[in-house]
Formats: sequence, C-alpha cells, structure tokens
Amino acid sequence: MIAANLLPLLVWGTVVGLDLASVLQGLLNRPLVAGGVAGVILGDPETGLRIGAVLELFALDVLPIGASRYPDYGAATVAAVAFGAGQEWAVALGPSVILGLLLAQVGGAGIVLQRRVTARALRGAALALDQGEPGAATRVHAAGLAADVVRSVGLAALGMAVATLGEHAPRLDLATAETLTVVAVSGGFVALIGGAIRRAGTRRRIAWLAGGVALGLLGVGLT
Amino acid sequence: MTRRLRVLLRLLGLQASWTYERMQGVGLAVAMEPLLEPLADYPERSRAARARSAQYSNAHPFLAGAAAGALARAELDGEPGDRILRLRTALSGPLGALGDQLFWAGMVPATMAAALIGVAWGGALAAVLALVVGFNVLRIAVTLWGIRIGTENGLAVAHAISGSWLPASAPRAGDLAAVMVGAAVPVVSVWLLRGGSQTVAATFLVVIAATGLGLVTMRKPVSAPLLTVAAAAVTLLWRWSAA
Repeated sequence: MIAANLLPLLVWGTVVGLDLASVLQGLLNRPLVAGGVAGVILGDPETGLRIGAVLELFALDVLPIGASRYPDYGAATVAAVAFGAGQEWAVALGPSVILGLLLAQVGGAGIVLQRRVTARALRGAALALDQGEPGAATRVHAAGLAADVVRSVGLAALGMAVATLGEHAPRLDLATAETLTVVAVSGGFVALIGGAIRRAGTRRRIAWLAGGVALGLLGVGLT
Repeated sequence: MTRRLRVLLRLLGLQASWTYERMQGVGLAVAMEPLLEPLADYPERSRAARARSAQYSNAHPFLAGAAAGALARAELDGEPGDRILRLRTALSGPLGALGDQLFWAGMVPATMAAALIGVAWGGALAAVLALVVGFNVLRIAVTLWGIRIGTENGLAVAHAISGSWLPASAPRAGDLAAVMVGAAVPVVSVWLLRGGSQTVAATFLVVIAATGLGLVTMRKPVSAPLLTVAAAAVTLLWRWSAA
C-alpha cells in the first residue's frame, strides 16, 4: 500500500514539514490534518483521522513559542498513518501512534540541525548583512529555506522507510495491539488535559475549561 | 501586485531563516524589501535601512507585519537610525506576547479542538479542512491588518495597537480555547475508547487518571510522549514475557 502511494506521501510529508515553521504555518502540520489527508491518499481516511486525532492530543500540549524546542508531528503522522492504514483501526492505532511519537522526536532534533545550518549561512553573510549589501538577506533566507526543505524531505523519507519496514514486520497479537491502543490514547489524554490545566493558570480560565467539559458531557449525553 | 501584497507573501515564509542569533531578523528584512523600494533613489539611506532591517527581531509571525510596516514607515520618514532600532527591539515583546496569546494559546487549540469534536461526531476530513481554511483566512486578515497599522502609524504603532481590538481579543481567544479543549475531552474519549470496544468505566477511568496526573504534575510537567512510549515498552515486555 505504501509503495503504490510513495510519491504523494513523500510530497505531503514534505509540505507538512515546511508548514511547521518555515512556510505558512497554516495548520497543515497539525496531526489531525496531516493524518486525515494521508488517510485519503492511502484510501483509508477513517484510520488516518483516528491516528491523527490521537497524535493531535499530544500536539495540543505543545506551545511553539520563541526559541522553544518542539517535536515535528506532521511528517511523523503521515508515516504513522502509512504504517496503520488498511488494518482494523482499533488494532493499528496503538502501534502507529507510538511510531508517530518516536518520529516526531526525530523531527524535532532535525529542526535544531536545520537551524545550525542556517546559522552557519548567517555567520558567513553577517558582514554583508550589517553593511546593507543588496541581496544578502535573500541569500541567507534561501539557505534557511533550502535547509528546511532537506529536513522535511529527509524526515518524510525516513518515516516512509520505517513504515515500509513495519508493513512487512510480523503483526502484534490482537490483545497486545489493543492494549497499546489504550496506552496511546491514555497518553494523549495526559498530554491534552495536563497541558490544558497548566495553561489555564487562572481560576477564571479553569472555570472556562470546566464549563467546556460540562458542555462536552452534555453533547455526549445527547448523541 | 501591490507592495502590501508582496510583503504579505514574503511574511508567509518569515521564519525560514530563523536562527538563535537574529531569530526572525533576516526574514523580516526580506519581507520589508518591497516597502523600502522608494529609498532606491537614495543609495546611502537605502543601504543603512537594509542593514538595520536584518538585525535581531522576534515577534509572533502572524503579527510581524505590524513590525515590518512600522519600521519601513520610519525609514521612509527619515527617522534617526537609533530610534528605528529601539522601535525594533521594543515591538518584539508585545507583538510576541499578544500573538502567542491570540494564536498559539488561543485560536490554534480552539480550532483543532473544534476539528476533533467535529470528527468525533462523524464529520469527514472536509469539515476539518473547512476549519483550517477559516483559520487561514483569519491569519491572513490579521497579517494584512498588521501591515496596514504599521505602515500608517510608523513610530506610533505601539500606541495604535494598544488602542485596537487586539489587546482585548487575545485573552478571549484563550478562554475560547479552554472551552473547546474542555468540550473535546469527553467527546473524543468516548469516540476513541468506546469506539474501540472499551467499557464506559474504562473510558472514564482513563480520563480521570489523566486529569489526576495533570493536576499532580501542574508545577513539574511530565513528558506525555516519553511516558507513553515507556508505558508501551513495558506493555510489550509484559505481553511477550506472558506469551
């Protein structure tokens, strides 16, 4: 399934990698979006959305502020969906999410490397920049963008390679896979709820959060 | 294409050259170039403006248009270089803090929580993409507003922003995010766990345990991904040793 859709998956993985910080930042990198589209590419949108949703719970705990270091969930989600697509979602969800979490950390380390490459280009052009030389800023900017293209392509390719290896690996038994699904979903809620409580900070905001939970419970009751 | 539109397009890639040394400085220089074109007839001023435009800067990327517009306007008005550099530094904090509140801690989690609820209630990918389009319309409108308020006010941009809709709206976005994330918790937990044949008791146990862990670790957060991977490894060892 992956081999037949390799090119569109690589292109999509690269696009979401660039969307993380360098270009647009238009939510394409969010796991729910990246996973949903990857699911459509693979002909299994249901699994794509479910894997994307669990990884989204983790991503909602991330605040990409200033110089903070954060994981890259976009291409990691695309690989996780490629790994899990075509299987019963309750079985595929846990192992796929674990794979996504690991790849997201690799992606985060890649961002640090990319910034080092950009910093090298910046130091090389520092004098030209400080003297206002025409085109100097554009050259550094292009170097940074090229470094992020390489990072994004690399992460997408690594993800596809790992997912392809996983596709041919022996499957977990049903009980183990279902237990991993509960572990992954539970971890997602630890991230989501823990992050929401920490960020709320004030009593007023915690009241809004509690009000939201009450609304959600009402919605569950009515549906 | 108008200058403001060209600045907008360049601002969409503002952070491509982000570094720890100058943060968004180089990206802002690239974005400001179209606004500095009227200085082309004054080579010395143009060179000095370009040199200043690539110095350290760090604002929220969606609000950086206000900095680009204000700094370019100050350059065109012939303001002293040291005042322009002071404005550059002074704008970084407020534009960063307001943008982080409005977008990173507000509209982004609110949008994604709404998307999660929509998917859990049977919405297809199209519903998620519609929310993403809506978010991007807002994001581009805010960036264009920033360019306009910056170019119209120059050195007085901070005063103009403080009297605008932005300072009051940023905390409201956080309130909206809290409500949406709160609402997503029961809806998504039922969708993911009960849909996977877990019992009602198991579903509530997971949510209550996650809430308890969140409260206990408020001051010293745990890494949820690390915790999950570790728990998965223990699960695999336990299952394989039992087999």
